[in-house]
Amino acid sequence: MAMLRGRRVVVVAGAGGVGKTTVSAALGLGLAAAGARVAVVTIDPARRLATALGIPGLGDEPHRVDPAVVEAAGMRMAGTLDALQLDPRATFDRLIAREAPDDAARDRILRNRVYRHLSGAAGAQEFMAVERLHELVDSGAYDVVVLDTPPARNALDFLDAPERMTRFVEGRGLRLLLGPRAGAGRTGWRALQAGGHMVMSVVERLTGAQLLTDISEFLQSFDGMYQGFSNRAAAVHDLLASDSTRFVVVTGPRPEPASEAVALWRRLADEHYPLGAVVVNRVHPAPGATGTPDGLAGLLRHAGAPDPEGLASRAAAALEAAQARAAADAHEVGALSHALSGPPLAIVPALAEDPVEVAGLAQVTRALGDDARDPGRDAGAAPPPDQARRQTT
Amino acid sequence: MPSPPLTDRRLVFVLGKGGVGKTTVAAALALGLADRGHRTLLIEVAAETRTAAVFGTAPPVDAPVELRPGLFALSVDAEQAMQEYLSIQLKVRPLVEMMSRSRAFHQVTQAAPGLAELVTLGKIWDLATAVRDGRPVWDRLVVDAPATGHGLALLQAAASMRDLAGSGPISDQADAIERVVRHPEATGVVVVAIPEELAVTEAAEAVALMRERGVPVACAVANAVRTSPFGPGDADVLRTVLGDPAAGPAERAAAGAALATVDGAAHDAREVRALGDGCALPVAMLPAVPDLAPGSGGVEHLSATLMADPALGGTGAS
Ligand SMILES: Nc1ncnc2c1ncn2[C@@H]1O[C@H](COP(=O)(O)OP(=O)(O)OP(=O)(O)O)[C@@H](O)[C@H]1O
Ligand SMILES: Nc1ncnc2c1ncn2[C@@H]1O[C@H](COP(=O)(O)OP(=O)(O)OP(=O)(O)O)[C@@H](O)[C@H]1O
Ligand SMILES: [Mg+2]
Ligand SMILES: [Mg+2]
Repeated sequence: MAMLRGRRVVVVAGAGGVGKTTVSAALGLGLAAAGARVAVVTIDPARRLATALGIPGLGDEPHRVDPAVVEAAGMRMAGTLDALQLDPRATFDRLIAREAPDDAARDRILRNRVYRHLSGAAGAQEFMAVERLHELVDSGAYDVVVLDTPPARNALDFLDAPERMTRFVEGRGLRLLLGPRAGAGRTGWRALQAGGHMVMSVVERLTGAQLLTDISEFLQSFDGMYQGFSNRAAAVHDLLASDSTRFVVVTGPRPEPASEAVALWRRLADEHYPLGAVVVNRVHPAPGATGTPDGLAGLLRHAGAPDPEGLASRAAAALEAAQARAAADAHEVGALSHALSGPPLAIVPALAEDPVEVAGLAQVTRALGDDARDPGRDAGAAPPPDQARRQTT
Repeated sequence: MPSPPLTDRRLVFVLGKGGVGKTTVAAALALGLADRGHRTLLIEVAAETRTAAVFGTAPPVDAPVELRPGLFALSVDAEQAMQEYLSIQLKVRPLVEMMSRSRAFHQVTQAAPGLAELVTLGKIWDLATAVRDGRPVWDRLVVDAPATGHGLALLQAAASMRDLAGSGPISDQADAIERVVRHPEATGVVVVAIPEELAVTEAAEAVALMRERGVPVACAVANAVRTSPFGPGDADVLRTVLGDPAAGPAERAAAGAALATVDGAAHDAREVRALGDGCALPVAMLPAVPDLAPGSGGVEHLSATLMADPALGGTGAS
């Protein structure tokens, strides 16, 4: 994908199960083959894919993919490919360790029950994905970092996660509620605090006092760290919005993920994130022929089939089903192209084997190649790579 | 100990990875139970589930709506459940309203580990144990649970809270809920997966966790499984035809499509086996249907297939 060359960050987003992790790995492979030093951050990859990429079960450190394996899959490897698996808790713990004013404050947070809950919660994964990205970009060890994104019911979730998390940690309302214990005394909204007192006693009745102690301790520990925290979130946002980043949106040729892809694409455009391409993954290619297989029964008889007529008619039905599937997929691709009005679509065929080995990934990489084209317009003519780019503010 | 068939348990949780078909399977199961004459409540837990896309009516949060004869649906929302819980606990309306309006209160309930799950589970328990005129209000309840991690947290909510809260009213209540959730005569979990490695391993890991925690798992459902109408010898002759120079493009394409069907079915069969082995559970199988929209007959077909599957009737190891 030409529009990704020379970028420092590629973010791969989309609805659940459409192939984000697969496409991330395949893009990383392509960029590395072309000569870049690449890191791919995968999120919960299938075990066989992780194994193929040389990612061990534990830890979130990068591991080099053996170039010999890549070359055995028929690709020349001019650069390097490192792969790693996101561990949100480990990333969060490192962030805390970096931002905490001293070891005691760090340990207090890491032990805190509310923190343990928060760092394992669904939103933390999204937040920590971009945090890990930032770490890797900062390390200077890579030309480009490809970021897979967590499965979410709503593909937009991950854009909002950093802000949600920062707001929560800031905890204005909570500080007020918990009173001087959490440093709200400074704000001095006494009237609200009176109400807060009542709220608090009810919550205490519901959950026990220990929990409130934990929450206020948690917020207290974050005092003085909040600034570093929100600076970090802002830096991450700036990186994602900068011209050195490209977003790749993945979808399948079905209405539900496609409408999520359209919503995500529009949202990215509205908020001036740099757009790369839309990948339609697992598209069933049209069977080579359009005619009816009238001679099949004869051929099958010749090949020794016991019931050539029956088998021929079942095979003809399979062909019809494949044609119908391919037509439905092509229709969906056309509708998507129309809805998006313009951005390049890359079509990846549905492969017979799950692309969980390097050889399978290489097939996806080739499909993603440089032929990102827009079938809605003029099949074959690749639009200029920067067509989809929007001005960043 | 042999457990009763899934269809005899009052409270069924449908669990699985995101997007594998939990809502679809829960709908099919609830419809099947209602068809057998059980007064059935389908409960969606995560908001914006696709129940409405299947039945044409979105389940309301305040009172159950009847979707089909004997089949009702309700959406349980943590915020709403929290309010109801508050009004039971506080009994003072203005206070309840003040609490529900308070931003700080919402932040606390968000921060409190497991509180949202606990009130949600509490509401489900409430519905499952509701009695009118000496009879249970609902014969069967089918819960369309949130995706794996959140779904497990929901099932585990009572036990977690009991451990955290020490003694007191909330702990007693958590105990009562926990007794129902863990009761293999009353409750059963159905774990759903599609024939893909990730969904299958996630299902197996979830089942292992539930077993460890004493949650009764009843069976697995493999959803959208491709099957093939071709016999074991067919592939060989089809391959011969594919290599036959006398074959025209259409014949080649047909043989190729047939072989792809064979491969697809073999792939799915492997994953279904992995699901059964990984979970040590009987597996019910559902095909992919062309259409699930209301009136298409899709959910009715899935429902009939599911209810006829021996895996639902068996005595799953639990
Ligand atoms: N082009 C393809 N052809 C065949 N199988 C594919 C293709 N792309 C992906 N798959 C398979 O589809 C499944 C889902 O892919 P993947 O895990 O990449 O999706 P994802 O979007 O990352 O999912 P999640 O939202 O769960 O993280 C995997 O089993 C993968 O091997
Ligand atoms: N047996 C089936 N045949 C055809 N389509 C199906 C089948 N099962 C599920 N689907 C489709 O797959 C998609 C996901 O199904 P569903 O919403 O039931 O999954 P879910 O597990 O509840 O998802 P979520 O985790 O988002 O709640 C829907 O578009 C649904 O129509
Ligand atoms: Mg993934
Ligand atoms: Mg659902």
